Parts: sequence; C-alpha cells; structure tokens
Amino acid sequence: MNSRFYLEFLKVAAVPLFMAAVLFFASCAEHADDGILRLGLMEEPRTTNIWLASDANSRKLISLVYQPLYTYDPDSLELTPWLAASMPEYDPDTQSYTVRLRDAKWSDGTRLTADDVVFTVELIQRFRVPRYYSQWRFVERTEAVDERTVRFFLEEPKAIFLTRTLVNYVVPKSQWEPIAEAAGQRQKPLAALLNTEIEAPLGSGPFVLAEWRKGAYIHLKKNDHFFGSGVEVSGRRLGPHADEVLFKVYGTADVAVLGLKKDEIDFLWMSIQPGYIDGLEANPHTTVYLSDRSALYYMGFNVRREPFSDPAFRRAVNVLIDKDFIIDRVLQGYAAHMDSIVPTENVFWHADGLPEYARGLSREDRIRKAWRVLSEEGYTWQRPPVDENGEVAAPSRIILPDGTPMADFSILTPPADYDPARATCGVIIQEWLKDLGIPASSRPMAFGALLQRVKDRHEFDAFILGYGQLSLDPDYLRSFFHSENDRPGGWNMSGYNNEAFDRLADESVMAMDTQRRRDLILEMQRIVMEDVPYIPLYNPSAVEAVGKKRFEGWEEMIDGIGNIWSLTRVAPLEE
Amino acid sequence: MKAIAAAGTGKNETRSFRMQAFLEGWSLFYENIVGRIGLYLLILFGLMALASYIPPLIDPMYHPMTGVDPDISYASAPSWRHWLGTDNIGRDIFTQLLTGARVAFLVGISAAFISIVIGTLLGMIAGYGGRVLDSVLMRFADMIMVMPSLLVILLLSVLFGQLSIWIIVMLIALFRWPAVARVIRSQTLSLKQRPFIDMARVAGASHVRILFRHILPNVLPMALLYMTFRVTSAIIVEAALAFLGFGDPNTVSWGMMLQWVWKTGHMFQAPWWLLPPGICISLITLAFYMMGRAMEEVLDPRLRKTKGPDYAAS
Repeated sequence: MNSRFYLEFLKVAAVPLFMAAVLFFASCAEHADDGILRLGLMEEPRTTNIWLASDANSRKLISLVYQPLYTYDPDSLELTPWLAASMPEYDPDTQSYTVRLRDAKWSDGTRLTADDVVFTVELIQRFRVPRYYSQWRFVERTEAVDERTVRFFLEEPKAIFLTRTLVNYVVPKSQWEPIAEAAGQRQKPLAALLNTEIEAPLGSGPFVLAEWRKGAYIHLKKNDHFFGSGVEVSGRRLGPHADEVLFKVYGTADVAVLGLKKDEIDFLWMSIQPGYIDGLEANPHTTVYLSDRSALYYMGFNVRREPFSDPAFRRAVNVLIDKDFIIDRVLQGYAAHMDSIVPTENVFWHADGLPEYARGLSREDRIRKAWRVLSEEGYTWQRPPVDENGEVAAPSRIILPDGTPMADFSILTPPADYDPARATCGVIIQEWLKDLGIPASSRPMAFGALLQRVKDRHEFDAFILGYGQLSLDPDYLRSFFHSENDRPGGWNMSGYNNEAFDRLADESVMAMDTQRRRDLILEMQRIVMEDVPYIPLYNPSAVEAVGKKRFEGWEEMIDGIGNIWSLTRVAPLEE
Repeated sequence: MKAIAAAGTGKNETRSFRMQAFLEGWSLFYENIVGRIGLYLLILFGLMALASYIPPLIDPMYHPMTGVDPDISYASAPSWRHWLGTDNIGRDIFTQLLTGARVAFLVGISAAFISIVIGTLLGMIAGYGGRVLDSVLMRFADMIMVMPSLLVILLLSVLFGQLSIWIIVMLIALFRWPAVARVIRSQTLSLKQRPFIDMARVAGASHVRILFRHILPNVLPMALLYMTFRVTSAIIVEAALAFLGFGDPNTVSWGMMLQWVWKTGHMFQAPWWLLPPGICISLITLAFYMMGRAMEEVLDPRLRKTKGPDYAAS
C-alpha cells in the first residue's frame, strides 16, 4: 500500500521537478554568450511591414532596421543629417529642397541611392499609405538629380516639411518595387501592400533581422554595411558595438522587471510604473533613467453636445481639476505640469503666460471659484455647492441655463490594466465634479473600443486620452483643433470649431519664417487654452531601467533612452 | 411556552415545532468545530463591513476611494495613523479593507440569493412538472452549466466596456443557478412521491399551492445550504474579475485593491498592501465554505460523526 503511494507521489512530483530543471538550465544558458544586447518588450511586435506597423513595439523593431534622412540631435533636438550628408538646401524660386545623401548601403551591400528615396516617396503617394501620406501629399514631385542627390518640389511652402516629412524612413527599391507592382495589380492595392509579409526586411540601420521565432524571441545581427560604423554624427561616434540584438517578450510588467533584476535583459524598452523605481534602484545591477517626454495626457469634451459646448462649463471643470494632485499622487511626481497643449519642455514652441485657472488653490476655493464661473452663466442648483454663509456644502444636481437638470454622463478612460494612471484620474475627476453637482461617472473601456467611440463615431461626452509621443513640431495643434479635421476618423475628436483659430492654423502651415510661425503657434495655444476643448492634465516622465552589468553608454534624450543614438552607441563593458 | 403552544391553534404548534427543529439543528451545527470557526469568521467580517462606515466620519482622509492623507503621497508602511499603511496615492488601506468586506458581502450574498431564487424555482418546476418541462429546463440548465462563467463574463465586459457592480452580480447569479436547480429538482422528485403530497392533491390543493406550501418548505434548507457555496464562488468570481481589470472601477473591493497593487508596480514592494486583501478573500470564502460544510452535516444525517460504539464498524 505504502510503496504504491510513493510511486504515485513520484509520478505527480516528477512533472514540476522536470519543469524546474528545464527552467533552471534554460536560465543558465542565457548568460553564456557575450556581445548580445538583450532588450525586453511588453508585447510582441505585430509586423515587420513598415507600412502596416502602427503599434509601439513594431515601431521599435523597425527603428533599428530602417533609417530616415534626418533625425533629431539628442541635446539640442535640432534636425540632424542622418542618411543625408548635410542640411537640405532650399530654393525659394522653385520651392524645392535639395538633399545630398551619405555614402550609405543597404544591409545586402548595395548602395542606397537617390532612386530609393524617390521610390519611397512615390510609393507613399501612389498608395496613399496612412500615417505617411499626409506628410508627403504636398510634395509635388521628387527627382533624383544624380545618384546621391534628391530634389523635392513642393506645391506651396510648408513649414512642416523639414521637421515632419524629412524624418521619415527610406525603403529599398530593390525589395519593394516587385511588391508594389504586385499590389498595384490587385483590387485593393493599399490593403495588398499592407498585408504583404516581409520576412527579411532589407534596411540600412545598425541591425538586420536574422530570425523571428513568433512567441519566443526576435534575433537581429549587426549590419556590417551600416553607414554610421565609426562615423561621427552630431559629435557622437556611432557603433553599433553590440554584435547581436535579442528581443525578449514579457507579458506583464512584473515579470519584465524581475527579468531585468535577474540580468535576463539589458534594457526594458518601455516606460515602467513609478512603483518599480525603488526596487530597481536598490538592486546593484540595475539603474533607472528618468527623462522628460514630449507627451500630452488630457481630458477632452465633446463640444458638439450640451453643456460641453459652453466654454464656461469647460473652464469650470478645468478649475475643479487639481493637476498638481494628479501629478503628486497618481503619478508619484514623475510627470510635468501642463498648462498648454504644447508641453512646457518644448521650450521653443510652448506659450508662456497662459491662464492658470486654479493652480495652487485649495479644494474649497476651487469649488467656490467654479461655482462663481457657472452661476454667472446662468447655471443653478436647488441646493448650491456654496451656501449663504459662503461655506462649501454638498450640492444637488446642477441645473443648466435652459432649466433642465444635467443628465448623467461618463468620462471614458482606458482600462486600469492598460494605464492605471488614466483610469485613476477618471475616478478622481468624477468625484471632484460631484462637488459641484455635475453627475459624472468614470467609465474605463478597452482602448480600441474607446478610440472608436471617440474618434470615429463621436458617441461620447468626455474622455481621458494621451499622446505618448508628440512630435517636436507643434503642427499637431492644427490637427487637433482645426474644424476641417472634425469628421469621423479625424483628429479633431472633440469637434472644436473656431474660425479665428482655423485662420491662424492655416497661416501657420504656410509660414516659412520661424519667428512668424512661432507667434502664430503661441496665439493658437492662447485661444485653445481660453476655450479648453481639451484640458491638459500632465506630461509623464519616461521611467526606464537598464541593467548595468554588461552594457554602458545609454544616451538620454526627450522621450527616454530607447532612441537610435543609444542603440548605436551602447558598448559592452570592459571586464 | 410549550404548554400554551400545545393548547393553542395549529399554526402555533407548527411554529414551535419549527423552533424545536431549528434549535436541534443549531445545537448540531454549533457542536461542529468547523461550522463554529466559519461562523466566528463570518461575524468578524460582518463587523468589518459594519465598521466600514466609521472611518470616513473620523476624518475625510479615511474615505476609501477619494480620501488621501495630506502628508503622504506614496505607498507607506503601517503606522499609527494608517494601521495597514497607505496605497500609492495616500489612501488608507485599512479603510479600503473594511469597505471591501462590505462589497464582498453585498456581491456574495446578493448574487447567491438571486441564483438560489432562480435555481430553486426552476428546479421545483422541473421536478414537479416532469416530462417535457423537466427535459427542457434541465437541458437548458446543462447548457448554462457547461459555460465557463468567468470567461463569458470577461468576454462580456470586453464587449460592453466596464460593467457596474450590479451587472456583475446579475451575471454571476445567472451563471450559477443550474447546480442548485439540479439538486432541488432531485429533492422535488422524491418529495412528489410522498403521501402528504398525494393527500394535499386529494384535498384539492392547486399546483401552485402544493409547490409553494408543501414542497418549498422542504427544499428550502437544501437551497440555503447551496447558497453558502454560491456565496463563495460569487466572491471569487468578482475578485478575479476585478483583479484582471474588469471590475467596477467605482467600487473598492478586495479584488480591486489587488489590481491596484499589481498595476502600480507595488506587488513586491508593499506587502502591507498586497497581503490583507488576499488573506481576506481566502478567509471569507473559507468561512462560507466551512459554514456550508457544517450545515450539510445538519441536513444530511449520513454525514454526521457518531460517537456511539454501535456504529463504529460501519
């Protein structure tokens, strides 16, 4: 009887023992090779097709393979030639820019020529590739002057050509021409192009894709033909010094952070929650980098609907929202205050002296101030939030100027597992609004469904969303608030419509004089912050962590250390 | 008392008989150490739920959802001011824990009650009606029973956005009645054959009267027993949903607390935040389960441990 019991026990115990052994030996094998830069991701990239890639993780992979003509300098954030040899030359008579290319090669050793650049632009224009087309549509003609010179003829002067258009990637004609030809024959050319699987993308970047084992890892090898090897760009000597790159995919942040602590990866390529900072700082093998971001997290209203169409109502909500509370508490101080749509860190374009609303006021003073703002516009309460003695009291439901009590409405937020900060903000703002009898309720919603309701169907009252990577050029102001973008799928999600703003925005695109354009952009910010269709909430810091046992030389920049400068410059530590 | 009852009307007689039965059951239940522990635990949680109304009255910073300590804006360890510490935005964890007990009772008992009502009704009707009605209802119950309820509720909340706590309660109830219905049906089937039902029928009682006056009182103990088990599963489903991020964001439940500690990256940094809700979920489900086990012994004499030597051989 007993021996059978032991036999059974052994059988049951054998499975976990075996698994433990496998895991143990697998983790041992990890430490063997050197010169491999191991990067952690939270989710697997969706695609290697550059035209389809819209998720952050695919973009990370692609940024190592394809390269742009120009990029930004990490310190000054000024445009810096990358694949281009020098800054573009503008000819006002023909409205054309001339760009000279470096002596760069594709990873198969063939030369990167002006033909490739022309091909890339024509492909984007021919297929109207989303994401890219809007940046290239005003380029009338692209011409290869010689093998290493390209000329872009613009329909009209465009300020965003340099800062937005020229930082796009160049793809090789040799690989994409047959694909484009085949896709062009199909009934839906764009869909055919986007759905083409690219097993071995031919790029000009520091690394080249070697193997992608779906669900396990992505392996990249050093590109021996990378133009930057040993070259100095913007005062920095480029590598890459790592022989190989290995992407590991972790499902959850906990496991990824643990992997970093256990030296499974050298860099966790994502912004982590502030809660992990202490543990990572305490670990002798890891260190944390905090960087400013060019991001905008905000609450938006549907100004097509009552009472959100009333600027006074929106201002009152702005008064009630204690941004410093959100930054100190919800983001643990790892965020910057925002008083405009353009982040304060974007020194050149950010407007100073915008209305502060109620910064620094106490909760009760905020309620009093918001109550005054609303009372003046004809909003009433059966039991007002401030009684006869000027004391703050629990109010009854707010009554709109037309005499009807305000209906319940929801603030849509991403779900807590996607972004706990925004979900928490939703709940806190809901409680703040209740202090004024505004019947809000926070409603977390799956991200895709949320975007569809807000951007495509316009079926919402208010929402909290964010732009994780705003371009340094503030052209997004025009996208967010120009009335021509108020259409299903357009970026003017709140339906803001202001003729004065539209005029300024139209003018700002054409303004080639930077100082003039700056004045326009500052004025646009003033209008928007007066009307507050979006209430900017915070600009979170990028919190990133690296293992310091094996690699060094991470380059700090706006949006964090996961940039092309870091990845071409990090070098293995000398033993 | 007894004498008066005996001399009085029949109604009083049955009441005293029921009282007698209840007291007998109670003493059996109370003898059972498992049941007693479960009961004490439940009383403790009940007191916690009641006490949850007190802290916000002391100071607004003890409001479980919106109250924050003015001086603490990070996850702080237990102190005199915050007996179980604070979460990352400075909210008191002890208050959240008390409120969580309230939500657990609310979710557990209301979901279990709804599923018991549905299960008992359908079970009785199926068992009493027999034939086609029985087959249809039981096949329907089978269909619901094989559905993985947690998965379906997860899918629903993904489809319809966030669900409110009452919708979650309804969904749990709607997925958890079939097991009850099956048990009640089998009870009804055997009760139906008993002479007193025949007598009632001969006396001209309608089906509804037979069902509710004669069958229901006899299946009720069984239904209540099953209710304790349903409470357990309802609490666990709610906690799992909340932990996975599909709970009601406006409710401070234990599962929600676990979700916050997980998603804000404090899982391994703040044990004072992680452990209490976890322990409470385990203990409250254990308490209901233990109660259920003890009640089962009261209802089913075969389960009783007998002390007499006569039965030692069996």
